[in-house]
Amino acid sequence: MARKKASPPAKSRLFTIISLLGAILSSGGVGAYFNPDWPVIGPLVEKLAQRHAAAPSDGEVGSGKLVQAWRELTTESAAAPAPIETPSRDNAAPAQPASARRPGETLLIATFNIQVFGKSKLSKPGVMDVLVQAVRHFDVVAIQEVRASEDDILPRFVAAINADGSRYDFLIGPRLGRTVSTEQYAFVYDTASVACDTAASGTISDPADLLHREPFVAHFRARTQPPAREFSFWLVDTHTDPDEVKQEVDALADVFQFMRTADPREDDVILLGDLNASETQLGRLGQVPGITWVVSGAMTNTRRNKAYDNILFDRAATSEYTGRWGVFDLESAFGLTREQALEVSDHLPVWAEFHRAEATSRNDIADRVPGVQR
Amino acid sequence: MEEIQKWRTALQSPDVAERAAAAESLCHAGPDAAPAVLELVQACADDETVAEWATAALEELGAPPTESLEPLTKLASDSKSPVAYWAVTLLGRLGPAAIGSEKVLAALLHDSPDAAVQERAAWALGEIGAKSAATLAALNRASQSTSPRLARLAKASLEQIQK
Repeated sequence: MARKKASPPAKSRLFTIISLLGAILSSGGVGAYFNPDWPVIGPLVEKLAQRHAAAPSDGEVGSGKLVQAWRELTTESAAAPAPIETPSRDNAAPAQPASARRPGETLLIATFNIQVFGKSKLSKPGVMDVLVQAVRHFDVVAIQEVRASEDDILPRFVAAINADGSRYDFLIGPRLGRTVSTEQYAFVYDTASVACDTAASGTISDPADLLHREPFVAHFRARTQPPAREFSFWLVDTHTDPDEVKQEVDALADVFQFMRTADPREDDVILLGDLNASETQLGRLGQVPGITWVVSGAMTNTRRNKAYDNILFDRAATSEYTGRWGVFDLESAFGLTREQALEVSDHLPVWAEFHRAEATSRNDIADRVPGVQR
Repeated sequence: MEEIQKWRTALQSPDVAERAAAAESLCHAGPDAAPAVLELVQACADDETVAEWATAALEELGAPPTESLEPLTKLASDSKSPVAYWAVTLLGRLGPAAIGSEKVLAALLHDSPDAAVQERAAWALGEIGAKSAATLAALNRASQSTSPRLARLAKASLEQIQK
């Protein structure tokens, strides 16, 4: 309906799901792309180089004032904002605003399914204020469920984020889906903290049509001093179909394995998103040798009864992971009622913390690959 | 419950903004929106602002009430693709309780003009555990399809049924 794919030749499962990565890695320019069916990511890609520092017309979004007003308007007795609680394991600790952290510390990477993120949400200042403030807590956010026929959703969102002087930017994928209702993935990232290689970004090719919404991939690196030691990584943004979870998480195992070998200079692959699966339902993805995931024993939806969202990576390769992670509780962070939080999304952001400097193993890999310049 | 009823009625409003607001409210209601499943399925072919929220509501709804079997079976043959797609999906979520829809689903698998509806019918027949000779024949034919997705789903359903 929304998307047409060519029939593939008979190939191995791995090869049929993912192809053409080499093309993206060897090509340059914003239009570089994994999938031959889509020669360009979309009109917004042409605007990737633009910055979104201009103040939005509704300049108070992100200031917190609108959340306060929204609370007062929609609740009889507005609760005072509570400290941010983050259900977590190990030595996890509450998230702190990214802007409040000193440069050179750590990197917070998050995933957030912003349910039906389109013009309806943009038109609600209270909802936008929460979204803007939530994103500012993180260095990179992988977003799922941008649903709109308009192309101005992310530009307006990022303009609102940057209204406080922040320097976030975004990368957005094509509209994907089997019906007229399609979704886009996006990455929103703080350019003061990380750099995105827009030439190494794109949508995974899926000629065997295993996935409803093929993952959106981009390569990032932390900004560090000295730059040679920066932590770099692939982010693989994904959203499975709730009716074909088992087949799709199995297919994601192939995506993950492929991304690990996509570029010999890069050993860090972080797959994140709305998997519609808890840690016990990860199928072949959960059995990939060495793989680990952050969310375990915690609920990630706003109703707090499902563990749908997660962040996965190879525990040995991505030794930059500090062991800290959390589910960002919108209710306690912004003093919202459950109903108000549901207006923001039916999912909560999930985050994990990483060191900004590349671990030694990364250098070892680079040393093993002839011709690799670091 | 009263609220759900109010939003069901609002989904029939001539005012698109009212319908969109109702679909959004039903989406926020999560599984509690189940009584509105038929209205939501029909709303999937409405204006974009309505359809996006209706689709999101159905994605999170889970299995529909069993009493919706008959009307969903009728909607499965709707000429509007999004309506048929979601009706078929919900029949699949009903599992064996939707066995009464087997004939319609097998027919859709065979001759729906919409590939996504055909594929969902192949999936739903497996979820339902439909075993009639006509269904098995339709699934066998579909398993030979040149569409990799349809062939794969039909094979998976055959395996599921024959377990």
